[in-house]
Amino acid sequence: MTNKKKGNAFTNNPIVRAIGVQKIVVVVVLILLLVFFSVKSTSFWSYASLLSIMDYTYYLAFLGIGVTFCLITGGVDLSIGTGMFCYALAGGFLITKMDLPVIVGILVTLAMGIVVGLANGLIVSKGGHAPFLATLCTMMIVRGLGAIITGGSSITWPIAGTPEGWTRNLFKFTLPSGTKVPLGFLWVLLAAIIMSLFLNKTRPGRYIIAIGSNKEATRLSGINVAKYQTLAYLICGFFTGLAALAYSSAFQSMTPGGGGGVELNAIGGAIIGGTSMSGGSGTIAGTILGVFIMSILQTGLPKVGLQANYQQIIIGVVLLVAVYIDVLKNKKLS
Amino acid sequence: MGDVILTMKGIDKSFPGVHALDHVDLEVRKGEVHALMGENGAGKSTLMKVLTGIYSKDSGTITFEGREVEFTNPREAQDAGIVIVHQELNMLGHLTVAQNIFIGREFMKGKFIDDRKMNEEARKLFDQLGIDIDPTETMSRLTVGKQQMCEIAKAISHDAKVIIFDEPSAALTEAEIEELFKIIRDLRERQLGIVYISHRMDEIKVITDRVTVMRDGGYVGTLITKDCTKEDIINMMVGRVIYEDPKTESQVAKDAPVVLKVEHLNAGRMVQDVSFELRKGEILGFSGLMGAGRTETMRALFGADPKQSGDIYVNGEKVDIKSPKDAVRHGIGYLSEDRKRFGIIVDKSVAENSTMATLDEYMKGLFIDKKKENDVAQKYVDILKTKTPGVDQLVVNLSGGNQQKVVIAKWLVRNCDILIFDEPTRGIDVGAKSEIYHLMNELVAEGKSIIMVSSEMTEILRMSDRIVIMCEGRKTGELGIEEATQERIMHAATLRN
Amino acid sequence: MDKIKENAFVKKVGFNSLVLFCILILLYILFAVLVPIVNSDANANFVSWAHILSAMNYACFMGFLSLGVTFVIATGGIDFSIGPVMFCAALIAGYQLTMKEWPLALCLVLCILVGTAFGTLNGLLVTYLGLPSFITSMASMMIAKGLGSVCTKTQPVSWPQLSDASGNGWYRNLVRTQIGDMTFPTGLVILVIGAVICAIILNKTKAGRYILCIGSNREAVRLSGVNTKGWETLAYILCGTLAGIAAIFYVGVYTTVQPGLGDTFNNEAIAGCVMGGTSMTGGVASIGGTLIGVLIMALLQEGIMTMGLQINYQYIITGLIVLVVVYADLRSRRRRN
Repeated sequence: MTNKKKGNAFTNNPIVRAIGVQKIVVVVVLILLLVFFSVKSTSFWSYASLLSIMDYTYYLAFLGIGVTFCLITGGVDLSIGTGMFCYALAGGFLITKMDLPVIVGILVTLAMGIVVGLANGLIVSKGGHAPFLATLCTMMIVRGLGAIITGGSSITWPIAGTPEGWTRNLFKFTLPSGTKVPLGFLWVLLAAIIMSLFLNKTRPGRYIIAIGSNKEATRLSGINVAKYQTLAYLICGFFTGLAALAYSSAFQSMTPGGGGGVELNAIGGAIIGGTSMSGGSGTIAGTILGVFIMSILQTGLPKVGLQANYQQIIIGVVLLVAVYIDVLKNKKLS
Repeated sequence: MGDVILTMKGIDKSFPGVHALDHVDLEVRKGEVHALMGENGAGKSTLMKVLTGIYSKDSGTITFEGREVEFTNPREAQDAGIVIVHQELNMLGHLTVAQNIFIGREFMKGKFIDDRKMNEEARKLFDQLGIDIDPTETMSRLTVGKQQMCEIAKAISHDAKVIIFDEPSAALTEAEIEELFKIIRDLRERQLGIVYISHRMDEIKVITDRVTVMRDGGYVGTLITKDCTKEDIINMMVGRVIYEDPKTESQVAKDAPVVLKVEHLNAGRMVQDVSFELRKGEILGFSGLMGAGRTETMRALFGADPKQSGDIYVNGEKVDIKSPKDAVRHGIGYLSEDRKRFGIIVDKSVAENSTMATLDEYMKGLFIDKKKENDVAQKYVDILKTKTPGVDQLVVNLSGGNQQKVVIAKWLVRNCDILIFDEPTRGIDVGAKSEIYHLMNELVAEGKSIIMVSSEMTEILRMSDRIVIMCEGRKTGELGIEEATQERIMHAATLRN
Repeated sequence: MDKIKENAFVKKVGFNSLVLFCILILLYILFAVLVPIVNSDANANFVSWAHILSAMNYACFMGFLSLGVTFVIATGGIDFSIGPVMFCAALIAGYQLTMKEWPLALCLVLCILVGTAFGTLNGLLVTYLGLPSFITSMASMMIAKGLGSVCTKTQPVSWPQLSDASGNGWYRNLVRTQIGDMTFPTGLVILVIGAVICAIILNKTKAGRYILCIGSNREAVRLSGVNTKGWETLAYILCGTLAGIAAIFYVGVYTTVQPGLGDTFNNEAIAGCVMGGTSMTGGVASIGGTLIGVLIMALLQEGIMTMGLQINYQYIITGLIVLVVVYADLRSRRRRN
């Protein structure tokens, strides 16, 4: 009996299938972008510039990994942007203003992420709220919370060189010779590998995909949908906490109330990388690639003379295009 | 055939206003393929839903493997060994075949899922059944036929003892049906009990051992397949005494003009090269079984769904209908089959619903002329005898029959000359039904023309001047009312190719 | 409780609106009592004309934003771009006014047109391309933020004061007019007129009828022969236009607009709308309710500020309000089904 093959020669090629069509397209786009920027800007390929790209990528990658889990269940988490700032502000506040040990600050940052993630998950799975609305509300709440905790003042995590500033070295290690090594890349890679394994090779990961694919069928198979849906948001919250650590280690001061807009970069990156808003599909690798495109845009555009405002317009348009392609993909499936 | 494995005796089930199952019996033996047949609404699905615990029975007993059982949900039934393979497959499209089959009971290697073992086990399963499917393939990329086989394999892996197939061949190609039958024969050899729900006579004759026929919620009888003919089965399906007089002759004038002509309408698998005519003052009945494509034909005609090709002529003039707006403009109105989803706007009032298709005519300048709207709404409430405290009443608070009247009112307000009624009396009590019939007769007497899609044989025979029958997307018969009988209609409704 | 609901007056005004009004009064009393306690400053007397005027400043522009987004939510969609669109309009028009010396009247029109343009963009993307409204409006929010900044070359824009030498300050009278000794809250009056117009559109015109029915059951409306795509787009266009109008009332009070900001207003506008009884699932909307919801938000904002607390408490409370109100709406819907 013959399988009615859908698609064409390219999409049916086994190697292409194994990697994923979208990822290949993304890599091509990535290469084109890199070529474009290196041609248009002489300073793009400088080591300092690459380090800068890395700084943007770390936190965005963690956010991307986290929100991918929500997207796969067919939901979304809009609180990751302001959340990242809030948790970093809280942790940093404890370290710099309350003179608590750095490790406490780190733990609090992560803990806050987990708690808010859990709250999001419960509101969505038990409360029945639409994910975008629920996480929109928590986005507002953590935005206010962050500012209240710090009393409105900006926070800077301890800088490199000071004894408390060791978190910075975690992400950018300065060798004795003076060169800085983008160590953070290792953590991102590690996280990506671990979460990819989690998603594809463990039961919770499998059930999260199943929920996004067909919630009712998953429920009928006897799986506790609420539990695994909540787990997805919890993971997202945890990674927002990690992103907070990455951000505070890479950048200087953080103003309360900031972070709005960052979530769209992360979500956009995930969608570009092949994660569908309708749920059921998505890979960690794809998200990392998509997020990479976003951070390259963010660092490259200024180098060709386009400031932040142009970036916003371009990223907005990129997001629209990515969503449209996603909508078309889904139309074709049904 | 072996011993009896499943007995359903005296199953009775009622819903508000509907006696869905009236003391139904069913007996399934090991190593048997037992067909369950009946018209739409005969109660076949309901019976199976009672068996698998989706509905609870009012009375009667279910005996499985010698013990009396009562399941409260499909999972319980599945764990006990009774599985349904649905028409709408319940699958996780984004996962692979093996992952689907073993969802919830994955093989583990430590903390991780052992996909390799799952693929192996799936392959073993498929080999046993003689199915050729790659367990690593993504589910959504398979054809419907293959997806169904996966579902069967899943059932077997759950150690099923009774498998129920609900219209399994509807979406399959001839070759896939052959494969399916091979598997079913294999299952029979393994002493499973199989219930096969289908309306396809030729398949019943090929694959089944016995046939149980239901009619109007009741049990009619059980025949041995090889000892009976297609006509025997048809007689059992439709052999009801009709109390209301069927129409004996067409009410349409001999010289009545053709108001609507449809030629070579094509809209996917469900509408294949359908052509028909509607004359002025005529009630054209559209009969057929579920999945015949009647609603799809009407929706394509009305512009609600896209069509690939087809010409439509209204009063002799060719018209281009690409959306419901076009159809309405040409004087065609469509009363959907699913009133709650497509017909009424539940949290709006009777008046607002009534003028939904004609709002332009109820404007005073920029504003809605509420008085005029209420007046016309009240006019039709009176004409149709809609039971409502007032035209401001929200439609959600009305009974089914009265909701239907509001939808009818909407099209009457529009004064459409051509009306398509899709299952107009579904879910409506007897009193309201005859009111709607009366109304339909009045409408055609006034010169309007009606297409009536219906799955109720009595209704078709009572109201139609002419009857078109469809089967699986094709028009398979056309009868004038004088020559129409239940048997003839059912014959055409089950005529494939 | 039921007896109250049956009362004729209650029915006419609307049970929900009355409840909201009571909440408004209670909130006022609450602040009047709390403020002197929390804020030890001698001037912190909540019960004063000055505070009411200040709250009204906020209510003016927020009112127009909320009115606009009510139309979109009525269709079952959402618009997250309204805040930044408002700012973008104010920035672009303000730039033309102050840097290019365009006549004021023209700039006011331009301001509104920018809003309309974004509304049209959102509407077309959502209805004709089928993109989900929340992510679409978030993307256009980014575009609005960026565009505003690009047009003003990243500089903030300050609209002229009342006594401005160019004579262009007269638009301030739209917000507040000085008649002798009295300050007449023109802005509020215009808002109420605007609300009345919106209510008429929503409840008495074809557009409003279609918009509400589309939010309730889009397919049933389509099958009745109505061009649903056009009318749904109209809801977004109205929303954008009202955001453009809101811009005028914003600069009329707060003068300066910074590029890149504005998104906090989105949530507050949605909160006001949702509190007023407009359902996020579409099909049910109340202009009167939205108005009272906006007043509650204005009061909340003023009270929190006067108490000496930061605006951040408002963010938290707003978030909680929306969660709770929408949950209540979901619960009552589920019970009905």
